[in-house]
Amino acid sequence: MSVLILDIVTTAAILFTVATGLMIILGVMKLINFAHGAFLTIGGYAAYIATVAGWSPWAAIPFAAVVGLVLGLVVEYVIVRPLYARPLDAILATWGLGIIIGQLITIGFGREVQFVEPPISGAVEFLGLSYSTYRLLLVLVAVVIGAGLTGLLYFTRFGLNARAVIMNEDLARGLGIDSTKVRLATFGLGAALASVAGALITPLVSVDPNLGLPWLVNSFMLVLASGVSIPGLMIVSLLLGGAQVVVSTYVSPIIGGLTIVVLAALILRLRPQGIG
Amino acid sequence: MNMRNSFRILGGAAALGLALAQPAAAADTLKIGVPVGLSGANSVVAPSVVQAAELAVSEINAAGGVLGKQLELVVADDGSGAQGAQKAFDSLVFQKEVDVLISMETSAARNAGLPIVNRGKVPYIYTSFYEGRSCSPWMYVNAWVPEQQVAPIVDHFMTSEGAKSFYLIGSDYAFGRGMLEFTKKYIETQGGTVLGEEYLPMDGTDWTPIISKLKAANPDALITSTAGGAPNVTLTKQLRAAGVEIPYGNLAVDEGTARNMGADAAGIYISASYITGIASDENKKFLAAMEEHFGGDLKTPNDLSVPQYEAVYLYKAAVEKAGSAEPKKVIEALAEVSFKGPRGDISMSKQRHAPLTMYLAQVQPDGGIKLISSFDNVDPGEQCPNL
Amino acid sequence: MSGEAMTESKAAAGGAKPRAELGRVLRWGALAVALLIVAPFVLDTYTVNILIRALFLAALALTVDILWGYTGVLTFGQSAFFGIGAYACGLVFTHYGFGPGWAVLALAAGILAAMAVGLLVGWLAFYHGASPLYASIVTLALPIVLTQVVFAGGRFTGSSSGLSGFPTYYWDLEVWFWIAGAFLILVTCLAVLFVRSDMGRVLVAIRENEMRCAYLGIPVSRIKILLMVVMGGIGAVSGFGYAAFTNVVAPELTGFLLGTELLIWVALGGRGTIIGPVIGTIAIDVTSSYLSGSLPFVWKLLIGIAFVLVIVALPQGLLPELGKGLRRLLRRQPAAKPAPELRPARSRVVAAGAAAPLVVEGVARHFGSLRVLQDISFKVGRGELLSLVGPNGAGKTTLIRCLADGMERSGGRVVIFGKDLGRWPPDRCVALGIGRKFQAASIYETLTVAECLRLARYRLEPFSLWQASPILELPEAALRIVSETGLAERLDIEVRHLSHGQKQALDLAMVLALEPTIVLLDEPTAGLTKTERERIGGILTSLVERERLSVLLVEHDLDFVRQISSRVIVMHQGRIVLDGSVAEVVDSELVREIYAGSGHEPAPAGGTA
Repeated sequence: MSVLILDIVTTAAILFTVATGLMIILGVMKLINFAHGAFLTIGGYAAYIATVAGWSPWAAIPFAAVVGLVLGLVVEYVIVRPLYARPLDAILATWGLGIIIGQLITIGFGREVQFVEPPISGAVEFLGLSYSTYRLLLVLVAVVIGAGLTGLLYFTRFGLNARAVIMNEDLARGLGIDSTKVRLATFGLGAALASVAGALITPLVSVDPNLGLPWLVNSFMLVLASGVSIPGLMIVSLLLGGAQVVVSTYVSPIIGGLTIVVLAALILRLRPQGIG
Repeated sequence: MNMRNSFRILGGAAALGLALAQPAAAADTLKIGVPVGLSGANSVVAPSVVQAAELAVSEINAAGGVLGKQLELVVADDGSGAQGAQKAFDSLVFQKEVDVLISMETSAARNAGLPIVNRGKVPYIYTSFYEGRSCSPWMYVNAWVPEQQVAPIVDHFMTSEGAKSFYLIGSDYAFGRGMLEFTKKYIETQGGTVLGEEYLPMDGTDWTPIISKLKAANPDALITSTAGGAPNVTLTKQLRAAGVEIPYGNLAVDEGTARNMGADAAGIYISASYITGIASDENKKFLAAMEEHFGGDLKTPNDLSVPQYEAVYLYKAAVEKAGSAEPKKVIEALAEVSFKGPRGDISMSKQRHAPLTMYLAQVQPDGGIKLISSFDNVDPGEQCPNL
Repeated sequence: MSGEAMTESKAAAGGAKPRAELGRVLRWGALAVALLIVAPFVLDTYTVNILIRALFLAALALTVDILWGYTGVLTFGQSAFFGIGAYACGLVFTHYGFGPGWAVLALAAGILAAMAVGLLVGWLAFYHGASPLYASIVTLALPIVLTQVVFAGGRFTGSSSGLSGFPTYYWDLEVWFWIAGAFLILVTCLAVLFVRSDMGRVLVAIRENEMRCAYLGIPVSRIKILLMVVMGGIGAVSGFGYAAFTNVVAPELTGFLLGTELLIWVALGGRGTIIGPVIGTIAIDVTSSYLSGSLPFVWKLLIGIAFVLVIVALPQGLLPELGKGLRRLLRRQPAAKPAPELRPARSRVVAAGAAAPLVVEGVARHFGSLRVLQDISFKVGRGELLSLVGPNGAGKTTLIRCLADGMERSGGRVVIFGKDLGRWPPDRCVALGIGRKFQAASIYETLTVAECLRLARYRLEPFSLWQASPILELPEAALRIVSETGLAERLDIEVRHLSHGQKQALDLAMVLALEPTIVLLDEPTAGLTKTERERIGGILTSLVERERLSVLLVEHDLDFVRQISSRVIVMHQGRIVLDGSVAEVVDSELVREIYAGSGHEPAPAGGTA
């Protein structure tokens, strides 16, 4: 029973970590970034580069953040900005971008699975159970990310501007906030978060050009169901992630893969603005 | 956009299609078609398979070719799946008009390609281990089937590790299910019990609930049969991260992938018809030739690539025996020829399949393979009783 | 009436139109069939092989174009219907039986299953008030769910491996080519006729401004659901053919990746053109097959780059750009859209019952604790021209919204001719007799004047699925506007070329074309010249006096109000403060206070607000 609870909590933490980047972009820019999966993959490959270069596995994380940030800024300027008024087209354009990034990675690194040095491996005794150390660590990481983002949003100037833009962009512009800069910075931050998440999950997944793809749709559904708020995302990650674990364990792992998508679609039908 | 212009464009496209529709020029080479997973689940091992074929072809051509004709390799990407295989097989059989198909594929790809092979009437030597019982008048198999591979691992676990209860995990497709179905039957005939049998779809990456179930069931040993590449890697990584240390037999991993998994792969048992440590002269010669031919780009030869090398030679032998490359004659001759390759004497003489020497080995912490025991001439059983 | 003179001159032109269109489509169709028959003997086997697959996929891409290019529903899910058809074929032939009877059964099963799923998806995605993003999400979830269902089928569906080698019709390649080609040509011809018909214009209107459609009485949700069902069925037939030919079914056929590939083909080929996606699909699929051996990754990269470029910079797609370039080279004008013939509609007798046209009881509207409307009650009789005045923020527009959309108000009752408005969405309110004109002229920029007017007739006349009706019937009031403002000469001009005044006139004409019994107007004189204002005033007055309609208008121009109203209601801070005749209100102290108090000056005589 307790293993189930740990599974649920750790799964929720991983889902939360992976989805935050997508969420802040949706919140500030009202845009679904379908290149999110590709940014996860970039983070995974950043960790691979760190391994090849012989750095400590922990160094992979800031490295991934920087790579993600730079790429995110470029992408916002070139592809996302022109599509400000066409949100559905922005979904398609970012999906196309994801394809481009995937192919570039394949051409550059090859199709094979790459080996990335994990920072920690093995299991640890926790509450009388033997459980994966790394998964437990990720719970901590998720909390740190959540707290960090909340702090950014509520205790910094940038956060204040961002919240103004989230609530009413036209009004914010009217008050003198340069919403273009806010959007640029937000996209960069979202990409950086995705990249960091990608680097963080490498010990649990296969590092190949398709790393990010399985996470894209689930992240997307979670973010929409969360009502674009940090506490909302935590709740939804626990609820839906938990449902996924329960269904996978007691019904079938195949149907379990569906739970998040189906439940999120139903939640949105009943409450279009999401929870939270 | 009015109809007139759209029809002009349609006409232009048709002309373009005509221009591209050049039939393959007939030549005095023998074309070997290699549909293989350059992308998808098999993309990890595909390069090694292509290299093995390239070495065989260059050796044979240097020695004068087959019946005076040079061999030519034509490689096509089958995407490791059914849709891609269709396109690859179509391209090789109908566009490039190859004389023979020699390759390893996932079961999904093979099942999709067989109808095309049957329609195109081209000999097909399947060089991948698989779940068995796939039969076609045009296909031969020179790799192992469950009857040959499963017993060594299970026997070793039951005798040397004292395992009585087993847990089975696999990818949900023909190979995964076929292998584990056979394994379950075998374990039960040997007096063991199977505590659980769980599957994830081929593109599934989260084994968490299955691993939790495994730990709860507390079996003595674990046997897995996942799709190559990513599923192998994710399962092993997640197992190790969860602290699973019971004897672990992997029916579907090769040396190269094992090396890429680093320390996580240590301790895995594999049962294969080829390991690089085989002490025969043929193997030493083969490895040296691979090293020389590919140098730094060499992909470790493995249980999926070496049968490819041998299959090219088997084709050569069959064409020479039949006196021509005519498909019907080659098909008959393939049952009667043999080739002494790195895996020993290979002859696809038992109902289109080949008796093989099987090796039980264990992955070491440095990624290397340690041989534990070997079994000569293991029979493939009744695979295609009607052929 | 000048309108009649107009209609006579158009008589000759109008009648020939639909038959000309049908003739043209038939001619191109015949040409395509001729090409189809000849092609397998000219092309080599491999190309024919690839083309058969591409032809089936092109039919599927066509359904995506109709849903996305024409109706604006971004759908990732057509691949699911394709997969349902394919698996129907695979499952029946593998597990149940094979033969002509079985084939028909399997095809029927596939189509029915697809339609059922389409109905479910439509119901889930297209409810009133659903955002387009939500609809896309549902269509995204569909193929994912379906793929997982296939995976869960274990041995029955073949799971990840799929099913292959099942018995099927091993006809010659030429036969399959003709079947696939004939199917594609048939679907394309029907699609072209459909999108150029009146119903096709409705789809474009939904894409451009869905809310306006609702206020024209068009049942948008129902149309979208029906469209999804039909497109699903066609997709299933396409999938069935594909599976029967290729002899393999695999989860990739139902999946999300194929769904996105379809969007890429449609976008590159040219969305909203029918022919563009068909050609685009065939061209890209065939080229992929040729290049997949030599440059698999670079090719995909190029497609990805082309796709992003097209979405960002060339949203029309590549083929239309090519078409435009060709046209410029050949110095040809784009084909002009035909103008229909105007005719007066049969006057519908409004039942002279005892019930009052409009009764409003205690209507309230709040957003959380913010009360925008409180306790609004009044009655409107036949032949009354009632003006709603009041400072900004008084709640006038909100009140109009509550009268035209049953879901808007928070409390109270609205009764029209004795029927309670309840929670009906706008299109049902139109059926009860409400016609609402928005403040900003919200019309469809790419449609012609005639097409816009025709849309307003949706509830009252049958809409053809295959032709654009050559006759446009309008009620007298609408005809009057159309002829007096010069719109009658501009029937075939696209709306975006009209002046602001003409757009407002068209908007009003569209509302009147609904033949409403209660007309709600929100600042109808905004931005109009003096002449135009007088004209509107004259029309409204005649509507009220001659046809005994009830007109409610929100206005700031108090002069205009004084001239034409029979009654005035003054609102302030969400409540009615005065309800009486023009004289009573204009001379009232209260009104002066309200306007002075909130900083508004009553308009000086002869000026504008």
